[in-house]
Amino acid sequence: MKRLPLILLLVGLGTAAHAQQPSGTVIAVPPLTSPDSGSKGNQMLAVGLDISQLIASDLRQTAELVPLPTKREDYYSYPEVTAPSLYKWRTAHAKTLLMGFVQSRSDGRLTVGCYVYDVDKGRELARKGVVIGPNDWRRAAHKCSGLAYSAVTGTPGIFDTRIAYVAESGVGDGRTKRIAVMDSDGYSHRYVTAGDTTVLTPRLAPKGSQLAFVSYAGGQPNVRLLDLDSGKDRSLIQSNTISFAPRFSPDGSRIAFSMMNGPNSDIYVVGAAGGAAQRLTTSPGVDTDPSFSPDGSKIVFESDRGGSQQLYTMNADGTGQRRLTFGNGWYGTPEWSPDGQWIAFTRRGQDGRRIGIVKADGTGERLLTTGPGDEGPSWAPSSHEILFQRVGANGRSGLYRITLDGGEPRAMTIPSDGSDPDWSGVMD
Amino acid sequence: MRRTLLILGIALAANTAQAQLPFLTKRPAQPVIQGIDALRADFAAQSGGTTVYFGAESVILGAPAKNVLSAQAAWLRRHPEVVVRVEGYGDGGDTRDHALAIGARRAEETRDYLVLLGVPSAQLSTTSWGKERPGLGRAVTILIR
Repeated sequence: MKRLPLILLLVGLGTAAHAQQPSGTVIAVPPLTSPDSGSKGNQMLAVGLDISQLIASDLRQTAELVPLPTKREDYYSYPEVTAPSLYKWRTAHAKTLLMGFVQSRSDGRLTVGCYVYDVDKGRELARKGVVIGPNDWRRAAHKCSGLAYSAVTGTPGIFDTRIAYVAESGVGDGRTKRIAVMDSDGYSHRYVTAGDTTVLTPRLAPKGSQLAFVSYAGGQPNVRLLDLDSGKDRSLIQSNTISFAPRFSPDGSRIAFSMMNGPNSDIYVVGAAGGAAQRLTTSPGVDTDPSFSPDGSKIVFESDRGGSQQLYTMNADGTGQRRLTFGNGWYGTPEWSPDGQWIAFTRRGQDGRRIGIVKADGTGERLLTTGPGDEGPSWAPSSHEILFQRVGANGRSGLYRITLDGGEPRAMTIPSDGSDPDWSGVMD
Repeated sequence: MRRTLLILGIALAANTAQAQLPFLTKRPAQPVIQGIDALRADFAAQSGGTTVYFGAESVILGAPAKNVLSAQAAWLRRHPEVVVRVEGYGDGGDTRDHALAIGARRAEETRDYLVLLGVPSAQLSTTSWGKERPGLGRAVTILIR
């Protein structure tokens, strides 16, 4: 967070006419009010303040929205929720306003309503009501954040999503790796493997209830499938050969992965519920890191069949394989964006490992990060932002986020070193 | 490949014979080595090392690697009771899964070469550490288990 004001300052210097205007849309998030009275009303106002502060915190993480600080004295009455006084927010240079209420229900649960207004036009942009358990206010806040984000940007928000990654601790041969899962704002952080076995590349199912990953539990790397609710896991396929690089299809029904065939690494696909694996590639060398297009009809992957590691696409049944990238350097770890337009990748070259994007037709390639220790891009559900792993000059590995507009990557706050991040779709 | 199978067949037949006729095991003039650490030390000393190295991005065994593997194969043929794991490593500068695949290819190539030199494949398993053991990039280690 310390870095953000600096960026804003630099942007401001570059455009002197807008010296006070940050690059994103300014949004006011005064504390949610309540129709309830008495001590219940005070209770609901306290919850409302928590929710509003979390919404502001959510939106502060984005590049598109810049929330004003949520202040207790900006309290408003219940009728004002649907008839806001906008003059105050115009003078505060807010372009967007998020208001709402928290109401207690007779069954002990809460109704949370959120309303988004265009301050200049005096027009309502969106509204949403959710009924939540008494302690689920964070969830309601994330839903309201998503409402404001999509009202302003026209794309889905990323707030009610999960991130899985490999948490690393210790040094050298004593280094342990555990898979951790958390909400995308860092809360509800928990470890889902014990740390007694090396684990790699967690990949969340689209609905977030299952996780595919690579485990060395059997002495060699193998893809396993973990049910996050029950905690039970199983081998993805019955085989004593090395398997790795799993990824779910967008509907969650299939998993593409790599498996060794003698000295060849080939791409296979198997039903998430079981069944026989189908081999999709046969070329000598390394074919790996498959990733489905959002409609499930195509797969992008990396292959060194042409002499150097490059990106290729094929139909999901293995037909129609063709090369996508022809640039200098080595291209790997492709991931198709949720909106279908882009493919993110890691490029290795003289300048180290850098994250880049290329259009799904192979044109418009550009690099987003400077490296030299970046890899493993994973798209936010918004398709506007990428999460990736960066190894710093001190050899320590962290998770970073960068938007397609460029700028400096922002470090995610996690309890230890982290690698192999994966961002889920929106929960429901 | 046919030769490999033939050698393998002979080796297996010899194994079976030894298993069924215990007195035959006394015939080789091998000193009895006790304990896995002693076995590992003897293997390393007599083979000129437990690790063979590859060029950048390469999965091809060079002459120095083949020399070490020949000595290892001879040792393994003298110790048919010893099982080893052929562990491949990738380059730390590589991406995670590509390093894993390259390590696996190096391990498979190494295993195949040992089989070609007459080591029964039942004595050999493979794995890949990719870039999980940063010190050992572009290499294969043969580990007695």
